[in-house]
Amino acid sequence: MKLSKCLKHAFAMVLHSRLRSWLTILGIVIGVAAVIAIMSIGGGMQQTMTQQLGGLGGDILTLSAGYSRGFRMFGAPGERGGFSGGGTAVEEEPVLDRTDVQALRGIPDIELIDTNIRGNVKVAYLGKSGTVSLTGVDQKVWSRITTSEIQEGRMLDSADQNVVVIGGRLADSYFDKPIGINQMITIEENVFRVVGILDDSSTNIYMPIQMAYQMLDDKENNVYDSIVIKVKDEDTLDETIEKIENKLMLVRHVTEKTQDFSISSSKQMQETRSEMMTSMNAFLVAIAGVSLIVGAVGVANTMFTSVLERTKEIGIMKAIGARNRDIMTIFLINSALIGLVGGFLGIVFGTILSGILPAMMGEVGMLREGTFVSVHSIIIAISVSVVIGIFAGFIPAFQASKLKPVDALRYE
Amino acid sequence: METLVKLKDVWKIYQMGEVEVPALRGVTVEIKRGDFVAIIGASGSGKSTMMNLIGCLDIPSKGKIFLKNQEITELSESDLATLRGKTIGFIFQQYNLMQSMSAYQNVVLPMEFLEYDDKTSSEKADRILKMVGLESHMHHLPSQLSGGQQQRVSIARSLVTDPEVILADEPTGNLDSKTGKEIINIFLRLWKEEHKTIIMVTHDLKLAQYAHTLIELKDGQIVKIENKNQVVKK
Repeated sequence: MKLSKCLKHAFAMVLHSRLRSWLTILGIVIGVAAVIAIMSIGGGMQQTMTQQLGGLGGDILTLSAGYSRGFRMFGAPGERGGFSGGGTAVEEEPVLDRTDVQALRGIPDIELIDTNIRGNVKVAYLGKSGTVSLTGVDQKVWSRITTSEIQEGRMLDSADQNVVVIGGRLADSYFDKPIGINQMITIEENVFRVVGILDDSSTNIYMPIQMAYQMLDDKENNVYDSIVIKVKDEDTLDETIEKIENKLMLVRHVTEKTQDFSISSSKQMQETRSEMMTSMNAFLVAIAGVSLIVGAVGVANTMFTSVLERTKEIGIMKAIGARNRDIMTIFLINSALIGLVGGFLGIVFGTILSGILPAMMGEVGMLREGTFVSVHSIIIAISVSVVIGIFAGFIPAFQASKLKPVDALRYE
Repeated sequence: METLVKLKDVWKIYQMGEVEVPALRGVTVEIKRGDFVAIIGASGSGKSTMMNLIGCLDIPSKGKIFLKNQEITELSESDLATLRGKTIGFIFQQYNLMQSMSAYQNVVLPMEFLEYDDKTSSEKADRILKMVGLESHMHHLPSQLSGGQQQRVSIARSLVTDPEVILADEPTGNLDSKTGKEIINIFLRLWKEEHKTIIMVTHDLKLAQYAHTLIELKDGQIVKIENKNQVVKK
């Protein structure tokens, strides 16, 4: 029998047992919709993450002081930041200071260096107060190294003193009334003028580092929490990191084993988080896959029932010339059709579901960019549902094809 | 006349749990091309088993069956199916029509299995349905047809691929005598005018009298072969 005729008969079979077919299709729809919705959440999270991390720039490195965990357990006999003299072993935290900055300036691959300190401060505006994070930055380079965008006003300037740039949420909704440009806020009882508002949802305050030292009592002058580095050529990032490490090890008198600083790049962070996201996605899809398996069992069940119900018809078809492979093809196409229709409807419902999911889940940081249904996931869903239909229908179809015509004709 | 069907020491034994039940016991017979044969016998005599074996719907436990000089037990399932489709037309007591298909679709179905083109299928189906007097009921479902009409659809389906043998199992068993007479007239016309070989299984001796050759079965064995020219007792 020609394939087109097999298709016609398979389609007629689906239509003939409408209710049962639709119930089976529903099982596949639920499975595929779950996979699509979950994959879209994963896609959305990935997009949000890419946007967040992509904004950090691949040419930015962050240098922080600190031992590796394993090393700290055994102590660090060193110069700066190691055991200080005398018989008592008092461990000092390693720090970053001007010496490190000087060393970095000697590396030609580095374009800009921004020294940062960080801490929490009390901020007050129009009688209301709260505690927010303050970052002291080198105002001469910060505007060129930061990936934050200005929403209103301007960035910090070399000549700036008692001025600050604040995060979008601090300006818009942290206090009862929004903070505007050129308005005054009180930080640790000192008045500062807001010159810029960032286009983000943070409550951070950025101010010149020299001013920040005065606000953060526990910070020592010319000691930094981190140093942000912009490299000249992103393509030679790994080589630059190696040069920085070598130079710093030299000036800090440490070896690879006793290294008391770390360098992280946004690229590395992006890769790590991306790997994490992929694993999480795979896990979520596996969970959704369980409902697809349930759908497949439904298809197999329907097909077995269908074979049983049509035993006599199979006998008639065989008596009038149907070959085993004709019967097998008709039943396989039937189950593939159930899978295909289920897959298609599952994609439609899954897409609708993924559209309303962010609203249902409320303000979820990782879903800021919404969900994302990729062509990739649609192709996977359709292929998987058809393959499931065929697989689930294979044994019943095989069973049908092997029925002896004389036995099938006797079946009542 | 050329031998179309030949059974040589054919046995069919059914296994009922631990008991073996022989339905046919060493049947040997030849059926000539163009003959009208009635297989008669009481219930359980092995008539239907013999028809199933001749129609390649089943294979013998022992012995050989030749259809157009081909030993059917040596053929693959696929070849058997093709042989059935091309050579044999079945007519059943219960009509055995596809309930979800119209009369026309039922008649077209065997041609679809033999991969006829749509135009030829359509022309043949129209012509044959007209021949059996169903041109106005072509698009009715079997459930919308009377028993006699359903049997006509069944006859049309059996003829549409122009088979050499028509195998009819109690073709009038479910019909009233008037309709039964109409069906037998169709058989006679096919036999006399179209020179088809007809093998009819029946327990109705009156109906069997229309046939040219009578094969009588009893307890799985042929007890008498009678044709209008001679009688052979076994």
